[in-house]
Amino acid sequence: MLAARASAARSASRLARNYASVVDTAGVKVAAVDNGEPTSAVTFLVKAGSRFESKPGVAHALKGFAYKSTNKRSFLGTVREAELYGGVLSTSLSREHLALSAEFLRGDESFFVDVLSSFVTSAKYTRHELDEYVAPVCEAESTTALANPATRALDLAHLLAFRAGLGSSPYTSPGAHVSVEDVKAFAKSVFTPGNIAVLGTGISSEKLQTLLAQSLGGLSSASAPTSAPSAYFGGETRVEAHGAPETVFIGFGAAGVPSAELAVLAAHLNPKPSVKWAQGLSPIAVKLPQGTSVQSVLLPYSDASLFGLLVQGPTTAAVKEAGKAAVTALKTAGEIQGEELKKAVAKAKFAAASSVDYRDGLAFALGAKALGSFASLDGTLSNLEKVEASAYSKATASLLKSKPTYVVVGDIKSLPYADELGL
Amino acid sequence: MVLGPLGPSLAPSVLKNRSLYRWVKPVADWYVNLSGWRRVGYKYDDLIPEERPDVERALSRLTPREAYDRQFRLKRASHCSVLHDILPKDQWTKPEEDVRYLTPHIENVEKEEQERRAWDNMAIERK
Repeated sequence: MLAARASAARSASRLARNYASVVDTAGVKVAAVDNGEPTSAVTFLVKAGSRFESKPGVAHALKGFAYKSTNKRSFLGTVREAELYGGVLSTSLSREHLALSAEFLRGDESFFVDVLSSFVTSAKYTRHELDEYVAPVCEAESTTALANPATRALDLAHLLAFRAGLGSSPYTSPGAHVSVEDVKAFAKSVFTPGNIAVLGTGISSEKLQTLLAQSLGGLSSASAPTSAPSAYFGGETRVEAHGAPETVFIGFGAAGVPSAELAVLAAHLNPKPSVKWAQGLSPIAVKLPQGTSVQSVLLPYSDASLFGLLVQGPTTAAVKEAGKAAVTALKTAGEIQGEELKKAVAKAKFAAASSVDYRDGLAFALGAKALGSFASLDGTLSNLEKVEASAYSKATASLLKSKPTYVVVGDIKSLPYADELGL
Repeated sequence: MVLGPLGPSLAPSVLKNRSLYRWVKPVADWYVNLSGWRRVGYKYDDLIPEERPDVERALSRLTPREAYDRQFRLKRASHCSVLHDILPKDQWTKPEEDVRYLTPHIENVEKEEQERRAWDNMAIERK
């Protein structure tokens, strides 16, 4: 049974291996795959996440400036023309990458590639656009995102776990002042040839390369900003919040390339059942009080990873009980072997493989390959297959030995402290 | 543009013609001094009526420093008006200080409005 599944996973990985070769065009890494989708998408993945920013909030402001006026067309012109073609322009920002994406019907690629590359090469960054459009949107996005206690807890957890670098938030903190000159300088330093990967899905590699060769001429060759290698620190913090579920995040981090053992640990502890309305076989799921939830969170970055359990519930007592169950499960997680371990490995492999099913996941997998930041899918799957019980329990033990990152968001007076949960 | 806040102007065509410019310039300078806005410390762009959406938008695009200086000039000039007097001569606006600090912003706002109108009234042709 397991063998059959393993071979299916291998053929999936072969498919992934075939999909794209990375080519240099105008100094930029280009990867494209055409699986015959009815629409095409092009993503510019730039190493311009918040860990590289020169000043808090600059990366977020740069994201806000996407598709504003350039030397080629105005903000309004971009919006109206994109609407006429029926395409969708979007941006997303993580701690490591800024992604500028366009999704459109086949045949419209010349316009949308031009929109993306004209932002990268010739955006104007005017002061009035910052004041009138960018700053209010950044503020609203940050307020909305940080009103969610889970996002807030994870944001604080990054700060505690990694301090500088990965600790810097992709959201603008209230009161942070970013000027147009800051954004301009940051854009000039990140929009450099070695820092950008262009990823296409539903578009042929040759076509994308021809279009980019025409439009990506004027990239500056300034040196890209670097971020100090991440180190893990850990710590504890408590933040008051009202009207939202009581939230506790229990996390552990590790510097270095994300390991396959960590993915297996996350899959083992994940209490999300594979069948709807079932309880699931995770060691946490059986002991959870009514109404509480535990999610296992695994955030891999290029040179560190943060793993943790996010406990949420309506009352502090329930959260305390769920937190105790989570910590107990975490402490005994290293002891599993045999069929239990195989089950966790299979779950982790499914999670890794299914993440490239969708366009976003595929684009990020291609981007990782193009920017060389971490292993491709087939590498990940074969590493997962190779996870041994002894290596797994060693990795888990060393992870749990480090200082925990413990964040509480909610009623800080009665939510448990780290030692009360047995950490 | 003709009915915009900046009004019709012959200046661009005069500026194009060198000899006409040489003839008109002394008359223009004489007229500017006679009008007297420099004697109460105004710059020419302070005289543009601001009670219109496009000029209000342009005003919001001034740098904080420019906006502060404009407020100061308006206040000082209205004080002069109350006193029925002009400023001492050393406080008059010098010709080289009398720059068009607001006009470029108004022109940009007008251009954006025109572009919006063009997109709103566009006719699509199928090829």
